[in-house]
Amino acid sequence: MTVEKLGIPTAPVITSVFEDLVKTNAYKKGMPLQRFTFVPHPIAGKPASECREYLKGNDPITGKPVMQEIIEALTKPLTEEEKKTGFIERPAPPRLVGPDTPDNLQRLFLKNAWTDGLPIVLPTEEKVAEMLKGTSQKPNKVVATMRPSPPHEAWEYTVEKVAINAVMAGAKPEYFPVILAIASTGITSLFTSTTSFARMVVVNGPVRNEINMNSGIGALGPFNHANATIGRAWTLISRNLGGGGTPGSTYLGSQGNNFNYNNLCFAEKEEELPKGWKPLHVQKGFKPEESVVSLFSGWSIIDNGGFKPYPYNEVMKHQSLAFYTSGTGNCFKSGVPDSAALTLLLDPLVAKDLKEARGFKTKEELSQWLMKNTFKSAWAYWACRPDDLQKAKDGVEPYASWLKLPEGALVPEPVFFDPKKPIEIMVLGGQTNPFWQAGDFNYVGSASVDKWK
Amino acid sequence: MKKGMNYLLIGVFLVASLLVVYPSQAEEAKITALNPLGSAPLIRRVSMAPRLDTLAGKTVYIVNVMFPLTDQFLVEMQKAFAERYPQVNWVLRDKRGTYFDDDPKLWAEIKEKGNAMIMGIGH
Repeated sequence: MTVEKLGIPTAPVITSVFEDLVKTNAYKKGMPLQRFTFVPHPIAGKPASECREYLKGNDPITGKPVMQEIIEALTKPLTEEEKKTGFIERPAPPRLVGPDTPDNLQRLFLKNAWTDGLPIVLPTEEKVAEMLKGTSQKPNKVVATMRPSPPHEAWEYTVEKVAINAVMAGAKPEYFPVILAIASTGITSLFTSTTSFARMVVVNGPVRNEINMNSGIGALGPFNHANATIGRAWTLISRNLGGGGTPGSTYLGSQGNNFNYNNLCFAEKEEELPKGWKPLHVQKGFKPEESVVSLFSGWSIIDNGGFKPYPYNEVMKHQSLAFYTSGTGNCFKSGVPDSAALTLLLDPLVAKDLKEARGFKTKEELSQWLMKNTFKSAWAYWACRPDDLQKAKDGVEPYASWLKLPEGALVPEPVFFDPKKPIEIMVLGGQTNPFWQAGDFNYVGSASVDKWK
Repeated sequence: MKKGMNYLLIGVFLVASLLVVYPSQAEEAKITALNPLGSAPLIRRVSMAPRLDTLAGKTVYIVNVMFPLTDQFLVEMQKAFAERYPQVNWVLRDKRGTYFDDDPKLWAEIKEKGNAMIMGIGH
Protein backbone atom coordinates (compact mmCIF):
# COMPACT_ATOMS: atom_id res chain seq x y z
CA MET A 1 0.00 0.00 0.00
CA THR A 2 2.92 2.32 0.71
CA VAL A 3 4.09 1.85 -2.85
CA GLU A 4 0.58 2.33 -4.30
CA LYS A 5 0.51 5.70 -2.52
CA LEU A 6 3.66 6.61 -4.45
CA GLY A 7 1.73 6.07 -7.69
CA ILE A 8 3.26 2.68 -8.48
CA PRO A 9 0.80 -0.15 -9.23
CA THR A 10 1.41 -3.29 -7.18
CA ALA A 11 0.52 -6.98 -7.30
CA PRO A 12 0.88 -8.72 -3.92
CA VAL A 13 1.23 -12.52 -4.10
CA ILE A 14 0.08 -14.52 -1.06
CA THR A 15 -0.39 -18.19 -0.19
CA SER A 16 -4.01 -19.28 -0.23
CA VAL A 17 -4.60 -19.97 3.49
CA PHE A 18 -4.23 -16.27 4.22
CA GLU A 19 -7.06 -15.08 1.96
CA ASP A 20 -9.28 -13.92 4.85
CA LEU A 21 -6.40 -12.27 6.65
CA VAL A 22 -5.08 -10.23 3.74
CA LYS A 23 -8.49 -9.15 2.46
CA THR A 24 -9.63 -8.11 5.95
CA ASN A 25 -6.39 -6.26 6.49
CA ALA A 26 -6.58 -4.52 3.12
CA TYR A 27 -10.11 -3.38 3.97
CA LYS A 28 -9.03 -2.06 7.36
CA LYS A 29 -6.11 -0.20 5.81
CA GLY A 30 -8.34 1.50 3.27
CA MET A 31 -7.82 -0.50 0.09
CA PRO A 32 -10.69 -3.00 0.17
CA LEU A 33 -10.23 -3.97 -3.48
CA GLN A 34 -6.48 -4.51 -3.44
CA ARG A 35 -5.60 -6.92 -6.24
CA PHE A 36 -4.21 -10.09 -4.65
CA THR A 37 -2.98 -13.19 -6.43
CA PHE A 38 -2.91 -16.44 -4.48
CA VAL A 39 -0.77 -19.53 -4.87
CA PRO A 40 -1.01 -22.89 -3.09
CA HIS A 41 0.19 -23.09 0.52
CA PRO A 42 2.89 -23.50 1.75
CA ILE A 43 5.71 -22.07 -0.30
CA ALA A 44 8.48 -22.17 2.31
CA GLY A 45 11.07 -24.81 1.54
CA LYS A 46 9.57 -25.82 -1.82
CA PRO A 47 12.08 -26.77 -4.53
CA ALA A 48 12.44 -24.74 -7.71
CA SER A 49 10.44 -27.23 -9.76
CA GLU A 50 7.42 -26.96 -7.49
CA CYS A 51 7.63 -23.17 -7.37
CA ARG A 52 7.56 -23.22 -11.17
CA GLU A 53 4.48 -25.42 -11.17
CA TYR A 54 2.68 -22.97 -8.89
CA LEU A 55 3.63 -20.03 -11.09
CA LYS A 56 2.47 -21.77 -14.26
CA GLY A 57 -0.68 -23.07 -12.58
CA ASN A 58 -3.88 -21.43 -11.41
CA ASP A 59 -4.75 -19.27 -8.45
CA PRO A 60 -6.50 -21.75 -6.09
CA ILE A 61 -9.00 -19.05 -5.01
CA THR A 62 -10.02 -17.49 -8.35
CA GLY A 63 -9.03 -20.28 -10.73
CA LYS A 64 -7.23 -17.81 -13.00
CA PRO A 65 -3.71 -18.49 -14.31
CA VAL A 66 -1.31 -17.02 -11.73
CA MET A 67 1.00 -15.15 -14.08
CA GLN A 68 -1.86 -13.71 -16.10
CA GLU A 69 -3.55 -12.57 -12.90
CA ILE A 70 -0.41 -10.77 -11.75
CA ILE A 71 -0.06 -9.00 -15.11
CA GLU A 72 -3.73 -7.98 -14.99
CA ALA A 73 -3.29 -6.65 -11.45
CA LEU A 74 -0.75 -4.22 -12.88
CA THR A 75 -2.43 -3.36 -16.17
CA LYS A 76 -6.21 -3.75 -16.04
CA PRO A 77 -7.73 -0.23 -15.68
CA LEU A 78 -9.17 0.67 -12.29
CA THR A 79 -12.92 0.29 -11.87
CA GLU A 80 -15.07 3.13 -10.51
CA GLU A 81 -15.27 1.27 -7.21
CA GLU A 82 -11.48 0.97 -7.05
CA LYS A 83 -11.10 4.71 -7.72
CA LYS A 84 -13.23 5.70 -4.70
CA THR A 85 -11.71 7.95 -2.03
CA GLY A 86 -12.95 9.27 1.30
CA PHE A 87 -13.79 7.20 4.36
CA ILE A 88 -15.32 3.84 5.12
CA GLU A 89 -17.57 4.25 8.13
CA ARG A 90 -18.03 1.43 10.58
CA PRO A 91 -20.93 1.88 12.96
CA ALA A 92 -19.96 2.00 16.64
CA PRO A 93 -21.15 -1.06 18.56
CA PRO A 94 -24.36 -0.44 20.56
CA ARG A 95 -23.71 0.36 24.21
CA LEU A 96 -26.17 -2.19 25.56
CA VAL A 97 -26.89 -5.78 24.63
CA GLY A 98 -30.32 -7.24 25.30
CA PRO A 99 -32.67 -7.26 27.11
CA ASP A 100 -32.75 -11.02 27.12
CA THR A 101 -32.52 -13.92 29.53
CA PRO A 102 -29.11 -14.60 31.06
CA ASP A 103 -28.86 -17.92 29.20
CA ASN A 104 -29.60 -16.26 25.88
CA LEU A 105 -27.07 -13.52 26.58
CA GLN A 106 -24.42 -16.14 27.38
CA ARG A 107 -25.17 -17.76 24.02
CA LEU A 108 -25.02 -14.38 22.27
CA PHE A 109 -21.67 -13.47 23.79
CA LEU A 110 -20.27 -16.84 22.71
CA LYS A 111 -21.77 -16.58 19.22
CA ASN A 112 -20.38 -13.06 18.77
CA ALA A 113 -16.89 -14.31 19.71
CA TRP A 114 -16.70 -11.99 22.72
CA THR A 115 -15.46 -14.70 25.06
CA ASP A 116 -12.60 -17.18 25.36
CA GLY A 117 -15.04 -20.02 24.80
CA LEU A 118 -15.87 -20.36 28.50
CA PRO A 119 -18.97 -18.96 30.25
CA ILE A 120 -18.49 -15.40 31.43
CA VAL A 121 -19.91 -13.21 34.16
CA LEU A 122 -22.47 -11.10 32.33
CA PRO A 123 -21.37 -7.44 32.48
CA THR A 124 -24.58 -5.82 33.68
CA GLU A 125 -24.52 -2.09 34.39
CA GLU A 126 -24.61 -2.85 38.11
CA LYS A 127 -21.64 -5.20 37.98
CA VAL A 128 -19.60 -2.81 35.84
CA ALA A 129 -20.41 0.08 38.18
CA GLU A 130 -19.14 -2.05 41.07
CA MET A 131 -15.93 -2.85 39.15
CA LEU A 132 -15.37 0.86 38.45
CA LYS A 133 -15.20 1.46 42.21
CA GLY A 134 -11.83 -0.31 42.08
CA THR A 135 -10.22 2.74 40.49
CA SER A 136 -10.32 6.51 40.94
CA GLN A 137 -10.01 6.99 37.18
CA LYS A 138 -13.03 8.25 35.26
CA PRO A 139 -14.94 5.67 33.19
CA ASN A 140 -14.48 7.58 29.96
CA LYS A 141 -10.73 8.04 30.33
CA VAL A 142 -8.89 6.52 27.37
CA VAL A 143 -6.55 3.84 28.66
CA ALA A 144 -4.58 2.93 25.53
CA THR A 145 -4.79 1.52 22.04
CA MET A 146 -4.00 -2.07 21.16
CA ARG A 147 -3.44 -4.02 17.96
CA PRO A 148 -2.93 -7.77 17.37
CA SER A 149 0.44 -7.11 15.69
CA PRO A 150 2.20 -4.18 13.97
CA PRO A 151 0.49 -4.33 10.56
CA HIS A 152 -3.02 -4.37 12.06
CA GLU A 153 -5.19 -1.41 13.03
CA ALA A 154 -5.15 -0.22 16.63
CA TRP A 155 -8.37 -0.05 18.65
CA GLU A 156 -8.89 2.49 21.41
CA TYR A 157 -10.53 1.69 24.75
CA THR A 158 -11.66 3.39 27.93
CA VAL A 159 -11.59 2.53 31.61
CA GLU A 160 -15.23 1.46 31.36
CA LYS A 161 -14.53 -0.92 28.49
CA VAL A 162 -11.72 -2.52 30.49
CA ALA A 163 -14.12 -2.82 33.42
CA ILE A 164 -16.67 -4.63 31.24
CA ASN A 165 -14.08 -7.21 30.23
CA ALA A 166 -12.79 -7.49 33.80
CA VAL A 167 -16.32 -8.33 34.97
CA MET A 168 -16.61 -10.92 32.22
CA ALA A 169 -13.40 -12.55 33.41
CA GLY A 170 -14.85 -12.89 36.90
CA ALA A 171 -12.45 -10.41 38.52
CA LYS A 172 -13.16 -8.47 41.70
CA PRO A 173 -13.01 -4.67 41.91
CA GLU A 174 -9.86 -4.82 44.05
CA TYR A 175 -8.05 -6.50 41.13
CA PHE A 176 -9.08 -3.75 38.72
CA PRO A 177 -5.95 -1.52 39.08
CA VAL A 178 -3.79 -4.53 38.16
CA ILE A 179 -5.96 -5.21 35.11
CA LEU A 180 -5.91 -1.54 34.13
CA ALA A 181 -2.11 -1.51 34.45
CA ILE A 182 -1.90 -4.45 32.04
CA ALA A 183 -4.37 -2.78 29.66
CA SER A 184 -2.44 0.49 29.83
CA THR A 185 0.58 -1.09 28.16
CA GLY A 186 -1.38 -1.59 24.94
CA ILE A 187 0.34 -4.96 24.64
CA THR A 188 -1.90 -7.71 23.37
CA SER A 189 -1.92 -11.14 24.95
CA LEU A 190 -3.03 -12.59 21.60
CA PHE A 191 -0.19 -11.60 19.27
CA THR A 192 -1.16 -12.72 15.80
CA SER A 193 1.35 -15.08 14.27
CA THR A 194 1.36 -18.55 12.80
CA THR A 195 3.84 -19.48 15.55
CA SER A 196 1.27 -19.54 18.41
CA PHE A 197 2.67 -16.93 20.78
CA ALA A 198 2.10 -16.96 24.53
CA ARG A 199 2.32 -14.22 27.13
CA MET A 200 3.24 -14.10 30.80
CA VAL A 201 2.23 -11.50 33.39
CA VAL A 202 4.13 -11.12 36.66
CA VAL A 203 2.92 -9.00 39.56
CA ASN A 204 5.28 -7.42 42.09
CA GLY A 205 4.91 -5.17 45.10
CA PRO A 206 2.39 -4.83 47.92
CA VAL A 207 -0.67 -5.42 45.72
CA ARG A 208 0.19 -9.10 45.54
CA ASN A 209 -0.76 -9.65 49.15
CA GLU A 210 -3.48 -6.98 49.20
CA ILE A 211 -5.50 -9.03 46.70
CA ASN A 212 -4.31 -12.47 47.87
CA MET A 213 -2.44 -13.48 44.73
CA ASN A 214 -0.59 -16.78 44.81
CA SER A 215 3.18 -16.82 44.64
CA GLY A 216 3.63 -20.01 46.62
CA ILE A 217 2.57 -23.60 46.16
CA GLY A 218 0.83 -24.11 42.81
CA ALA A 219 1.32 -20.45 41.81
CA LEU A 220 1.28 -21.26 38.11
CA GLY A 221 -1.69 -23.55 38.45
CA PRO A 222 -5.42 -22.93 38.88
CA PHE A 223 -7.37 -22.39 42.15
CA ASN A 224 -6.31 -18.83 42.97
CA HIS A 225 -9.06 -16.38 42.08
CA ALA A 226 -6.85 -13.33 41.49
CA ASN A 227 -4.23 -15.16 39.40
CA ALA A 228 -6.94 -16.85 37.32
CA THR A 229 -9.17 -13.87 36.61
CA ILE A 230 -6.48 -11.21 36.09
CA GLY A 231 -4.79 -13.41 33.50
CA ARG A 232 -8.13 -14.20 31.87
CA ALA A 233 -9.10 -10.52 31.75
CA TRP A 234 -6.02 -9.77 29.65
CA THR A 235 -7.16 -12.34 27.07
CA LEU A 236 -10.68 -10.90 26.90
CA ILE A 237 -9.29 -7.35 26.66
CA SER A 238 -6.99 -8.43 23.85
CA ARG A 239 -9.89 -10.02 22.01
CA ASN A 240 -12.62 -7.41 22.48
CA LEU A 241 -10.63 -4.21 22.82
CA GLY A 242 -7.49 -5.05 20.85
CA GLY A 243 -8.98 -6.57 17.73
CA GLY A 244 -7.27 -9.90 18.35
CA GLY A 245 -8.31 -13.50 18.73
CA THR A 246 -10.29 -14.11 15.54
CA PRO A 247 -9.16 -17.49 14.16
CA GLY A 248 -8.02 -17.20 10.55
CA SER A 249 -7.73 -13.45 10.68
CA THR A 250 -6.05 -12.23 13.87
CA TYR A 251 -5.41 -15.57 15.59
CA LEU A 252 -3.28 -17.55 13.22
CA GLY A 253 -1.27 -19.84 15.46
CA SER A 254 -1.15 -23.09 13.56
CA GLN A 255 -1.72 -25.11 16.73
CA GLY A 256 -2.72 -22.37 19.15
CA ASN A 257 -1.33 -21.99 22.65
CA ASN A 258 -3.08 -23.13 25.82
CA PHE A 259 -1.31 -20.36 27.76
CA ASN A 260 -3.62 -17.91 25.98
CA TYR A 261 -6.38 -18.72 28.50
CA ASN A 262 -4.61 -17.22 31.49
CA ASN A 263 -1.27 -15.85 30.30
CA LEU A 264 0.79 -17.51 33.04
CA CYS A 265 -0.35 -14.91 35.55
CA PHE A 266 1.43 -15.12 38.91
CA ALA A 267 3.01 -13.06 41.69
CA GLU A 268 6.73 -13.21 42.41
CA LYS A 269 7.60 -14.66 45.81
CA GLU A 270 9.59 -11.64 46.90
CA GLU A 271 9.68 -12.81 50.54
CA GLU A 272 11.73 -15.88 49.58
CA LEU A 273 14.29 -14.18 47.35
CA PRO A 274 17.84 -14.97 48.49
CA LYS A 275 19.53 -11.96 50.06
CA GLY A 276 20.91 -9.79 47.28
CA TRP A 277 18.45 -11.08 44.68
CA LYS A 278 16.13 -8.21 43.76
CA PRO A 279 12.48 -8.54 42.82
CA LEU A 280 11.82 -8.21 39.09
CA HIS A 281 10.23 -4.75 39.35
CA VAL A 282 13.21 -3.39 41.26
CA GLN A 283 15.50 -4.80 38.56
CA LYS A 284 13.42 -2.80 36.09
CA GLY A 285 13.85 0.45 38.00
CA PHE A 286 10.80 0.58 40.27
CA LYS A 287 10.95 1.02 44.04
CA PRO A 288 10.32 -2.05 46.22
CA GLU A 289 7.16 -0.50 47.67
CA GLU A 290 5.62 0.13 44.24
CA SER A 291 3.12 -2.32 42.78
CA VAL A 292 3.95 -3.23 39.20
CA VAL A 293 2.94 -5.62 36.42
CA SER A 294 5.57 -6.92 34.01
CA LEU A 295 4.79 -8.60 30.72
CA PHE A 296 6.66 -11.23 28.76
CA SER A 297 6.30 -12.73 25.31
CA GLY A 298 7.34 -16.18 24.16
CA TRP A 299 6.02 -19.58 23.25
CA SER A 300 6.75 -22.44 25.63
CA ILE A 301 7.86 -23.70 29.03
CA ILE A 302 9.93 -26.69 30.15
CA ASP A 303 9.50 -27.95 33.70
CA ASN A 304 12.59 -29.38 35.37
CA GLY A 305 13.17 -31.23 38.62
CA GLY A 306 16.36 -30.39 40.45
CA PHE A 307 17.62 -33.91 41.01
CA LYS A 308 20.25 -35.10 38.54
CA PRO A 309 22.19 -33.93 36.71
CA TYR A 310 23.59 -31.21 38.95
CA PRO A 311 24.46 -28.34 39.29
CA TYR A 312 21.29 -26.55 38.21
CA ASN A 313 23.00 -23.78 36.25
CA GLU A 314 24.71 -26.35 34.00
CA VAL A 315 21.35 -28.02 33.36
CA MET A 316 19.86 -24.62 32.54
CA LYS A 317 22.50 -24.10 29.83
CA HIS A 318 21.47 -27.29 28.06
CA GLN A 319 17.79 -26.64 28.66
CA SER A 320 17.97 -23.25 27.04
CA LEU A 321 19.10 -24.81 23.76
CA ALA A 322 15.79 -26.63 23.39
CA PHE A 323 13.88 -23.53 22.30
CA TYR A 324 14.33 -23.50 18.56
CA THR A 325 11.67 -20.86 17.90
CA SER A 326 13.22 -18.11 19.95
CA GLY A 327 16.56 -17.64 18.27
CA THR A 328 18.39 -20.78 19.30
CA GLY A 329 17.45 -22.14 15.89
CA ASN A 330 15.62 -19.49 13.99
CA CYS A 331 17.90 -17.25 11.95
CA PHE A 332 16.23 -15.13 9.33
CA LYS A 333 19.24 -14.03 7.36
CA SER A 334 22.99 -14.25 7.48
CA GLY A 335 24.45 -11.11 9.02
CA VAL A 336 21.30 -10.45 11.02
CA PRO A 337 22.05 -12.33 14.25
CA ASP A 338 19.08 -13.38 16.31
CA SER A 339 19.81 -13.53 20.04
CA ALA A 340 17.80 -16.20 21.80
CA ALA A 341 15.41 -15.60 24.71
CA LEU A 342 15.24 -17.31 28.10
CA THR A 343 13.24 -16.70 31.26
CA LEU A 344 13.67 -18.83 34.39
CA LEU A 345 11.00 -19.32 37.06
CA LEU A 346 12.77 -20.77 40.10
CA ASP A 347 11.29 -22.39 43.17
CA PRO A 348 12.87 -20.72 46.25
CA LEU A 349 14.76 -23.98 46.96
CA VAL A 350 16.49 -23.71 43.59
CA ALA A 351 17.24 -20.01 44.04
CA LYS A 352 18.73 -20.74 47.49
CA ASP A 353 20.96 -23.46 46.10
CA LEU A 354 22.19 -21.27 43.27
CA LYS A 355 23.10 -18.53 45.75
CA GLU A 356 24.54 -20.57 48.59
CA ALA A 357 26.06 -23.59 46.85
CA ARG A 358 26.95 -22.08 43.48
CA GLY A 359 27.80 -18.56 44.56
CA PHE A 360 25.45 -16.48 42.38
CA LYS A 361 25.07 -13.47 44.64
CA THR A 362 22.48 -11.78 42.42
CA LYS A 363 20.03 -12.70 39.66
CA GLU A 364 22.22 -10.66 37.30
CA GLU A 365 25.28 -12.83 38.05
CA LEU A 366 23.38 -15.98 37.13
CA SER A 367 21.96 -14.32 34.01
CA GLN A 368 25.39 -13.16 32.88
CA TRP A 369 27.00 -16.51 33.59
CA LEU A 370 24.42 -18.28 31.43
CA MET A 371 24.80 -15.71 28.66
CA LYS A 372 28.57 -16.08 28.67
CA ASN A 373 28.66 -19.86 28.84
CA THR A 374 25.88 -21.17 26.61
CA PHE A 375 26.89 -22.34 23.12
CA LYS A 376 25.29 -24.39 20.38
CA SER A 377 26.52 -27.71 19.08
CA ALA A 378 28.12 -27.55 15.65
CA TRP A 379 25.20 -29.51 14.18
CA ALA A 380 22.64 -27.00 15.48
CA TYR A 381 24.75 -24.01 14.49
CA TRP A 382 25.26 -25.02 10.85
CA ALA A 383 21.72 -26.33 10.48
CA CYS A 384 20.39 -22.93 11.46
CA ARG A 385 22.81 -20.84 9.45
CA PRO A 386 23.23 -22.23 5.91
CA ASP A 387 24.62 -18.89 4.70
CA ASP A 388 27.35 -19.01 7.36
CA LEU A 389 28.06 -22.64 6.40
CA GLN A 390 28.66 -21.49 2.84
CA LYS A 391 31.00 -18.78 4.13
CA ALA A 392 32.86 -21.45 6.12
CA LYS A 393 33.26 -23.55 2.97
CA ASP A 394 34.47 -20.46 1.11
CA GLY A 395 37.20 -19.97 3.73
CA VAL A 396 35.74 -16.91 5.45
CA GLU A 397 36.80 -16.60 9.07
CA PRO A 398 35.89 -17.30 11.77
CA TYR A 399 33.42 -19.70 10.13
CA ALA A 400 36.12 -21.68 8.34
CA SER A 401 37.93 -22.43 11.61
CA TRP A 402 34.69 -23.30 13.33
CA LEU A 403 33.92 -25.80 10.59
CA LYS A 404 37.15 -27.63 11.44
CA LEU A 405 36.17 -28.15 15.10
CA PRO A 406 35.97 -31.83 16.11
CA GLU A 407 32.65 -33.64 16.24
CA GLY A 408 30.80 -32.87 19.45
CA ALA A 409 32.46 -29.50 19.89
CA LEU A 410 30.51 -26.35 20.63
CA VAL A 411 30.67 -23.36 18.32
CA PRO A 412 32.20 -20.52 20.36
CA GLU A 413 29.55 -17.93 19.59
CA PRO A 414 27.29 -17.26 22.60
CA VAL A 415 23.65 -18.14 22.06
CA PHE A 416 22.55 -15.21 24.24
CA PHE A 417 24.64 -12.27 23.12
CA ASP A 418 22.39 -9.23 23.27
CA PRO A 419 22.83 -7.31 26.55
CA LYS A 420 19.45 -5.67 25.85
CA LYS A 421 17.86 -9.12 26.12
CA PRO A 422 19.25 -10.50 29.40
CA ILE A 423 18.07 -13.83 30.76
CA GLU A 424 15.25 -12.95 33.16
CA ILE A 425 14.85 -14.74 36.48
CA MET A 426 11.93 -14.79 38.91
CA VAL A 427 11.24 -16.76 42.07
CA LEU A 428 7.94 -18.42 42.90
CA GLY A 429 6.76 -21.68 44.39
CA GLY A 430 5.96 -23.45 47.61
CA GLN A 431 9.30 -25.19 48.27
CA THR A 432 7.84 -28.69 48.21
CA ASN A 433 10.43 -29.70 45.60
CA PRO A 434 13.40 -27.97 43.93
CA PHE A 435 11.77 -27.44 40.53
CA TRP A 436 12.14 -24.68 38.05
CA GLN A 437 10.54 -23.79 34.75
CA ALA A 438 12.45 -22.45 31.76
CA GLY A 439 10.67 -20.60 28.98
CA ASP A 440 11.64 -18.95 25.72
CA PHE A 441 10.15 -15.67 26.90
CA ASN A 442 11.39 -12.11 26.37
CA TYR A 443 10.65 -9.25 28.74
CA VAL A 444 8.35 -6.79 26.96
CA GLY A 445 7.61 -4.05 29.51
CA SER A 446 6.28 -3.02 32.92
CA ALA A 447 3.55 -0.67 34.16
CA SER A 448 2.63 0.85 37.49
CA VAL A 449 -0.44 -0.54 39.23
CA ASP A 450 -0.50 2.34 41.74
CA LYS A 451 -1.26 4.83 38.98
CA TRP A 452 -4.57 3.05 38.36
CA LYS A 453 -5.79 2.78 41.96
CA MET B 1 -73.91 -35.67 26.79
CA LYS B 2 -71.47 -38.04 28.38
CA LYS B 3 -69.29 -37.83 25.26
CA GLY B 4 -69.41 -34.06 25.36
CA MET B 5 -68.39 -34.05 29.01
CA ASN B 6 -65.40 -36.27 28.20
CA TYR B 7 -64.23 -33.90 25.48
CA LEU B 8 -64.63 -30.98 27.87
CA LEU B 9 -62.54 -32.72 30.50
CA ILE B 10 -59.80 -33.54 27.94
CA GLY B 11 -59.75 -29.92 26.83
CA VAL B 12 -59.46 -28.62 30.38
CA PHE B 13 -56.64 -31.09 31.04
CA LEU B 14 -54.73 -29.96 27.93
CA VAL B 15 -55.06 -26.27 28.76
CA ALA B 16 -53.96 -26.91 32.34
CA SER B 17 -50.88 -28.80 31.07
CA LEU B 18 -49.87 -25.91 28.84
CA LEU B 19 -50.21 -23.46 31.70
CA VAL B 20 -47.86 -25.58 33.79
CA VAL B 21 -45.18 -25.73 31.02
CA TYR B 22 -45.10 -22.19 29.61
CA PRO B 23 -45.44 -19.72 32.50
CA SER B 24 -41.89 -20.50 33.79
CA GLN B 25 -40.42 -19.30 30.50
CA ALA B 26 -42.64 -16.26 30.17
CA GLU B 27 -41.72 -15.16 33.69
CA GLU B 28 -37.90 -15.54 33.37
CA ALA B 29 -36.28 -12.18 34.04
CA LYS B 30 -34.58 -10.40 31.20
CA ILE B 31 -31.49 -8.28 31.72
CA THR B 32 -29.24 -6.02 29.70
CA ALA B 33 -25.47 -6.19 29.57
CA LEU B 34 -22.84 -3.73 28.43
CA ASN B 35 -21.17 -4.36 25.08
CA PRO B 36 -17.54 -5.44 25.60
CA LEU B 37 -16.25 -4.33 22.19
CA GLY B 38 -13.83 -1.47 21.74
CA SER B 39 -13.94 1.18 19.03
CA ALA B 40 -12.45 0.39 15.65
CA PRO B 41 -10.83 3.40 14.00
CA LEU B 42 -12.28 5.21 10.98
CA ILE B 43 -10.93 3.84 7.72
CA ARG B 44 -9.51 6.34 5.29
CA ARG B 45 -9.55 5.00 1.74
CA VAL B 46 -6.17 4.72 0.04
CA SER B 47 -6.25 5.49 -3.65
CA MET B 48 -4.96 2.77 -5.89
CA ALA B 49 -2.29 3.87 -8.35
CA PRO B 50 -3.32 4.14 -12.02
CA ARG B 51 -2.54 0.97 -13.94
CA LEU B 52 -0.14 0.71 -16.83
CA ASP B 53 -1.39 0.42 -20.42
CA THR B 54 1.36 -2.07 -21.14
CA LEU B 55 4.39 -3.54 -19.39
CA ALA B 56 6.48 -3.59 -22.58
CA GLY B 57 9.58 -1.45 -22.10
CA LYS B 58 8.81 -0.98 -18.39
CA THR B 59 10.70 -2.01 -15.25
CA VAL B 60 8.86 -4.25 -12.80
CA TYR B 61 10.39 -4.88 -9.38
CA ILE B 62 9.84 -8.28 -7.79
CA VAL B 63 10.31 -7.73 -4.05
CA ASN B 64 11.08 -10.54 -1.60
CA VAL B 65 9.49 -9.76 1.79
CA MET B 66 12.10 -12.08 3.40
CA PHE B 67 9.96 -14.71 5.05
CA PRO B 68 12.32 -17.63 5.78
CA LEU B 69 12.86 -20.28 3.08
CA THR B 70 10.73 -18.58 0.43
CA ASP B 71 13.53 -17.05 -1.69
CA GLN B 72 13.31 -19.80 -4.31
CA PHE B 73 9.77 -18.84 -5.28
CA LEU B 74 10.75 -15.26 -6.09
CA VAL B 75 13.80 -16.39 -8.03
CA GLU B 76 11.60 -18.69 -10.11
CA MET B 77 9.08 -15.89 -10.56
CA GLN B 78 11.68 -13.64 -12.08
CA LYS B 79 12.85 -16.39 -14.43
CA ALA B 80 9.32 -17.33 -15.46
CA PHE B 81 8.30 -13.75 -16.21
CA ALA B 82 11.53 -13.01 -18.05
CA GLU B 83 10.96 -16.04 -20.29
CA ARG B 84 7.36 -15.16 -21.06
CA TYR B 85 7.70 -11.36 -21.23
CA PRO B 86 11.26 -10.64 -22.43
CA GLN B 87 10.37 -7.06 -23.40
CA VAL B 88 9.94 -6.19 -19.70
CA ASN B 89 12.82 -5.50 -17.32
CA TRP B 90 12.24 -7.75 -14.25
CA VAL B 91 14.32 -6.69 -11.23
CA LEU B 92 14.47 -9.01 -8.20
CA ARG B 93 15.22 -7.35 -4.87
CA ASP B 94 15.23 -8.33 -1.18
CA LYS B 95 13.43 -6.05 1.24
CA ARG B 96 15.52 -4.88 4.19
CA GLY B 97 15.40 -6.82 7.46
CA THR B 98 12.58 -9.25 8.25
CA TYR B 99 9.09 -9.36 6.81
CA PHE B 100 7.93 -6.96 9.53
CA ASP B 101 10.39 -4.23 8.58
CA ASP B 102 9.74 -1.26 6.32
CA ASP B 103 12.22 -0.34 3.58
CA PRO B 104 11.74 3.31 2.55
CA LYS B 105 14.98 3.31 0.52
CA LEU B 106 13.72 0.48 -1.65
CA TRP B 107 10.34 2.19 -2.16
CA ALA B 108 12.15 5.38 -3.16
CA GLU B 109 14.25 3.40 -5.65
CA ILE B 110 11.14 1.79 -7.12
CA LYS B 111 9.47 5.18 -7.40
CA GLU B 112 12.51 6.56 -9.22
CA LYS B 113 13.49 3.64 -11.43
CA GLY B 114 10.50 1.30 -11.56
CA ASN B 115 7.02 1.31 -13.05
CA ALA B 116 5.37 -1.48 -11.05
CA MET B 117 5.98 -3.85 -8.17
CA ILE B 118 5.15 -7.48 -7.40
CA MET B 119 5.64 -8.44 -3.75
CA GLY B 120 5.70 -11.87 -2.10
CA ILE B 121 5.55 -14.09 -0.23
CA GLY B 122 4.84 -15.34 3.26
CA HIS B 123 4.99 -18.98 4.41
